Amino acid sequence: MTAADAPTLAQFFEAWDLFRDPALSGAVAGALLGWLGVYVVLGRMVFLSAALSQAAGLGVALAFWAGAAAGTAGASTGASWLSPWLGSIGMTGLATLLLLADRSPGGIRREAALGFAYLAGAAGTLAVGTRIAAEAHDIDTLLFGSAVAVVPGDFRLLLAVAAGLLLLHAWTVRGMAQAAFSSEAARVRGLPVGLLRILLFGSLAVAISVCTRVIGALPVFALSVLPAVAATRLAPSVRGALLLATVFGALSGFAGYVVAFLYSLPVGASQTLLAAVLVAAAFLAGLPASLRMRAARYRRGIAGPGTP
Amino acid sequence: MAAKEDRVVLAARALEVGYRGRALLPPVDFEMRPGQLWGLIGPNGAGKTTLLRTLLGLQPRVAGELERGDGVRVAYVPQREDAGPGVPGRAKDVVADGLDRGWSFLDPVAHWRRRPEVRRALAEAGAAAFANQRFLELSEGQKQRVRVAGALVSSPDLLVLDEPTSAMDQAGEHAVFDLLEALRVSRNLAVLVVSHHAHLMLQHVTHLLFVDRECRTVAAGAVDEVLSDPCVRAHFAEGGFEHPQASGVTEGGRP
Repeated sequence: MTAADAPTLAQFFEAWDLFRDPALSGAVAGALLGWLGVYVVLGRMVFLSAALSQAAGLGVALAFWAGAAAGTAGASTGASWLSPWLGSIGMTGLATLLLLADRSPGGIRREAALGFAYLAGAAGTLAVGTRIAAEAHDIDTLLFGSAVAVVPGDFRLLLAVAAGLLLLHAWTVRGMAQAAFSSEAARVRGLPVGLLRILLFGSLAVAISVCTRVIGALPVFALSVLPAVAATRLAPSVRGALLLATVFGALSGFAGYVVAFLYSLPVGASQTLLAAVLVAAAFLAGLPASLRMRAARYRRGIAGPGTP
Repeated sequence: MAAKEDRVVLAARALEVGYRGRALLPPVDFEMRPGQLWGLIGPNGAGKTTLLRTLLGLQPRVAGELERGDGVRVAYVPQREDAGPGVPGRAKDVVADGLDRGWSFLDPVAHWRRRPEVRRALAEAGAAAFANQRFLELSEGQKQRVRVAGALVSSPDLLVLDEPTSAMDQAGEHAVFDLLEALRVSRNLAVLVVSHHAHLMLQHVTHLLFVDRECRTVAAGAVDEVLSDPCVRAHFAEGGFEHPQASGVTEGGRP
């Protein structure tokens, strides 16, 4: 393809009716995953979103397989008795319960359970994919993201879930942050920490399962980690990080789709790379503050660790 | 009704702590009242954390009774935050988090309305000067003042601190205990501090809670009273500690 043949931004917006739903799906999923990703990143649970998105992928693949095996027409559009939505939410819910059940000291078993969920999900999706040749395109879509394949019903569901979860989290933000980052002090002050944590993990499970069905496992993992990494580098507070990560996530999801169109790239890869560029930019922008902090620590080291 | 000074903030009666129904330590009885500064001490692995978590209601007791006075508010400053050092926030944000109790976090403008309380707590803990600085950029001593302000902002009756002087030098440790002593007096606050720095404790506390699984001892009460326990005296003697209140300890730790 020559430079003259390359698609232009004008062409993208001329065909807006065609690209609207998938491009906005990227933005909406990015915003939701960006907000929730702050809890994932600061709670050192990065692998959680990878494992849940793979489990969601397996759920979708199993739903396709069940539909194909039963000879149900329209399995790929979610019309079978076991719709991809149900498969996705069911498997993600199962993986979340497995992870929440861990009470081992230091979460040692949780690490192992995360690895199990990730590997079983990834390998299972690929294995099931070989048994449903007619749906092979959909398996690729749910693993790596899709260029155009977002049906209006999927977009509307994603929009409703994102709006509901973001409103809920905006309302409970103070309690949620304390339950996630200083749970014991919060429990002593009577905050319903157990309930808030269930709400947080439940939100992650629902968000990841719905977003994986719409935009694919790779961009879901990327958008639930990278915007939050960039935001926590720059924001002065948790609430600032939540807002910034939401903006970064929406930007990565939408602009990633546009860049994929302009440069003929896979959408999931494009969204992931754009989010990675934001992380690199955030690290550069945060460098002066980081150097100031190191210098202050160094000076205190000379003056003594207990310098009041 | 009992005067505020006389009321019991926290009382343990034949309280046994442990895991899965098995007691780690013998039963303990004590009553904490306003204006008392209690030190929870003991060797490493003595059961201090288990007792502390039980007193805070973070884990169930094995046997006995644990009573909080009517309407008593407890604030807790843990040794470490769950999420480690990466959580962004200014000092005043950390303090404002302490405002929430129960379901109050559902009120979206509560923190905005209660900003004066945050300013007062920061000033009382000597942290007003760095209220707008990022918490991560503060020294250990400054961070501890901010954490104490975060506990004070909810107007507690009992303030509990777990190893508040870890990672500090001697001057920093004394500064923290001076602050706690000042708060105990000015607010008539009951304070419980866990520390393995027994020597530092004895210079500041009014009461002691000593635990040691090895010699199956839990001693609680006024400092003099607790120091008369042979196991406690042995503990101080082994630490090479000399203090007027712990005198009478012979070589080898036995009176």
